[in-house]
Amino acid sequence: MDERAFIIALAGLAHMGPSGLRLLAGHHPPEQAWAVATGRRLSEVAVVRDFLARTKFAALWRSAEASLPSMLERRCRDLGVRALLIDDGEYPPVLAADPQAPAVLFAQGDLSVLQRRRVGVVGTRHATATGRATAEELARGLANHHIAVVSGLARGIDGAAHRAVLDAGGTPIGVVASGHDVVYPREHASLWRAVGERGLLLSELPPGCRPETYRFPLRNRILAVLSEVLVVVESRSSGGSLITAEEAARRGRPVLAVPGSVRNPAAQGTNDLIADGAAPARDLDDVLMALGLQSCDRAFTPIVTLDGLDRCVDEALAEGGRCLEDLLSLTGVPLGVLMRSILRLEAAGLVVVTDGWFERGHAPWGRP
Amino acid sequence: MIASVSSATVIGSRGRAITVEVHVGRGLPSLSIVGLPDEACREARDRVRAAVLSSQLDWPVSRITINLAPSNERKGGAGLDLAIAVGVLVATRQLPPEAIVGHGFLGELGLDGSVRPVLGAAPMVHAMGSEVTVVAAGNIREAQVATQGPVRVACHLGSLVRCLTRAEAWPDVDDPDGDELDEPVPDLADVRGQPVARLALEVAAAGGHHVLFSGSPGSGKTMLASRLPGLLPPLDAATAIDATMIRSAAGVGLPAGGMVRRAPFRAPHHSSSLVALIGGGTSQLRPGEVSLAHGGSLFLDELGEFSPSVLDSLRQPLEEGVVRVARARASATLPARFLLIAATNPCPCGGGPPGSCVCDEGSRARYLRRLSGPLLDRLDLRVTVERPEIDDLVAGGGAEPTAVVAQRVAKARQRALERGDCVNAQLPGDRLDAVAPLSAPAAARLRSELERQRLTGRGYHRVRRVALTLADLAGEDGPLAEDRVLEALALRVRLGALGRSVAA
Repeated sequence: MDERAFIIALAGLAHMGPSGLRLLAGHHPPEQAWAVATGRRLSEVAVVRDFLARTKFAALWRSAEASLPSMLERRCRDLGVRALLIDDGEYPPVLAADPQAPAVLFAQGDLSVLQRRRVGVVGTRHATATGRATAEELARGLANHHIAVVSGLARGIDGAAHRAVLDAGGTPIGVVASGHDVVYPREHASLWRAVGERGLLLSELPPGCRPETYRFPLRNRILAVLSEVLVVVESRSSGGSLITAEEAARRGRPVLAVPGSVRNPAAQGTNDLIADGAAPARDLDDVLMALGLQSCDRAFTPIVTLDGLDRCVDEALAEGGRCLEDLLSLTGVPLGVLMRSILRLEAAGLVVVTDGWFERGHAPWGRP
Repeated sequence: MIASVSSATVIGSRGRAITVEVHVGRGLPSLSIVGLPDEACREARDRVRAAVLSSQLDWPVSRITINLAPSNERKGGAGLDLAIAVGVLVATRQLPPEAIVGHGFLGELGLDGSVRPVLGAAPMVHAMGSEVTVVAAGNIREAQVATQGPVRVACHLGSLVRCLTRAEAWPDVDDPDGDELDEPVPDLADVRGQPVARLALEVAAAGGHHVLFSGSPGSGKTMLASRLPGLLPPLDAATAIDATMIRSAAGVGLPAGGMVRRAPFRAPHHSSSLVALIGGGTSQLRPGEVSLAHGGSLFLDELGEFSPSVLDSLRQPLEEGVVRVARARASATLPARFLLIAATNPCPCGGGPPGSCVCDEGSRARYLRRLSGPLLDRLDLRVTVERPEIDDLVAGGGAEPTAVVAQRVAKARQRALERGDCVNAQLPGDRLDAVAPLSAPAAARLRSELERQRLTGRGYHRVRRVALTLADLAGEDGPLAEDRVLEALALRVRLGALGRSVAA
């Protein structure tokens, strides 16, 4: 049995929060940590002993009887869910850098979508029709600009956003507060599947974990970490999305809120956010602006390697701006061929065109 | 005691046949001109009387009435002087009526009886349609162009009378010699490097696409523009006549051969007034620069320095190929289908590579605002030109001469005309799909440009037209290849501050 099976099992224990898990996994090797958590071994580390003394360890032990490490590992394999430990190479760097990163992350789908620009679109489960329409519109627009949409797959705003992204052929990133096989809410079963297949479905809980109430705020911190910009579409004066907003703000992520009517209870939270200094998200351009993308030229498609003519053009621009004529004489290729290369580089953000002059762009995801 | 003589006046670039009727009858000696003459026309009575007397002819001591028929239209200018004088002489039997049968007269009289040339002789002679045309020596070329029949020269009223009564032979008239097309024009071979700008010129000439050259001072914008006339094919018969009429009416001399055959090239200064550019004036409605450029090209250097109202007035001719000038007394429709070739600095300081501009944002925006909007949207080709490389400058020769490029242009134009009866720039949007379908990759490329909001709906059609011209130049048939679309996109630079109002 793989050592990581113990960490997987630990992550699924009741009352085992992310900090507790990190504490245990940090001070003990996996198998030992499992033994300590299930009460079969006494930890020699004082902070671990203190932590266990503070938890409801009876419940912890009881849940340990139900989840066997070997069984969970097999379940993950069956579901196509990968378990990523924080020190794995595959573990998303954006999460690893966070002080409250989950010690283990369960992922279904394509991890490379995290390399895209990401915008979180969240909101209340009790959304108005207008709110859902706004979420859909934003999500569709983001999808059209090749920006991944991060959301929580809950009822209301979250679901509307993800559904719109899928319809527009975009990339959804879902973060849920239960195991991958415990769909919540039930009616989103097909949506969960689609997100896992066409985007990325993440959870810090192993399969079989039920969506306990206290898990949702914890899940929200992952949403906040993964969103480069967070847009709260609708929220009541107290709600989960406000927690997400707070987590995002604490991490220095720009928080935008869609302004609503003062008579709309579902817009109270978002209006409060604006009053507290969040930027209003009136339309897609506001969101793109917060992402630092210009109002035109905002559809970036990354290129992985620069070769042939692309490299030649890129190097020609290294010393400063050039106009088309220079590039044409430097590369010596026909105009159509040169233009194809320039447009490809421009789409990747590697080339910026102003007034007919070509310059190197800042390349949002680095210069290959 | 009645005489009737053919003559003509001109409005805009159109002549109008006028019959000058002279009645000499009993009554107190006087002379009145009826039939809505303008001031210059009314003054004819003093000129005509003095001219007749100084030619040792008799001035009748009777009541003279002169009617300019049709009498409900306003007549302007002094061109009717000669016809009035001849009419008076016929009515007083100093000239036999049969001597002027089939003759048309055109010319202004001096007090000594000399005959002077008038503006717009060509359209007037054309409108008269007389068998024999009599004009001043200075109008001979214009008259010869406008009529098939014999053209006689009248130098002096006295000698004219003797010629008409066959007492004297008509002065010799030499046939027009030389051909405008033989005259040298600036050659494209002088332009070093600048492949993109050269291509833009070629495409403009082949497809009739309007061009904007943007670049810092000294980058050769004016030099490039002046090479355009050499690339354009000679005018077809109908356009040549129109162009000749316009030139005559505007008082711009005709070329050596008489007929305007080479595509005109007009380059009005940026301080030009609206009337100078569009045409107008109170009496004659003189054609403006846009009409003088009919069939050829209009070069607006320093586009940003033209006054906005002048630039806006270009929209009608650009759209419809004519200008309609209306004044209280007259209105005229003047042909004005020209190729607009504009040049501008990117900003007041002249610009240059990124980072070299020293203008503040405000003045930059003000400068570009003048160009923004509908006018710029109509320029299919927008090219940034930069000073050529030093190597290109000092290396002699190598560049393609005008003759070679003009041949390609002529072939491409021929293809376009056979296909659609018009140059590509004038193809209506709804015919594009039938005439120039896109290949699948080309369509996908344009689609993605539209999705990125870098192309407007209008820009989309314009890029397709330019791509079609590029295909014509390359001699390609069938759906437009992606490379042609890419080239068309390359020739349509989005200008920074303009980009916001004009995506492409």
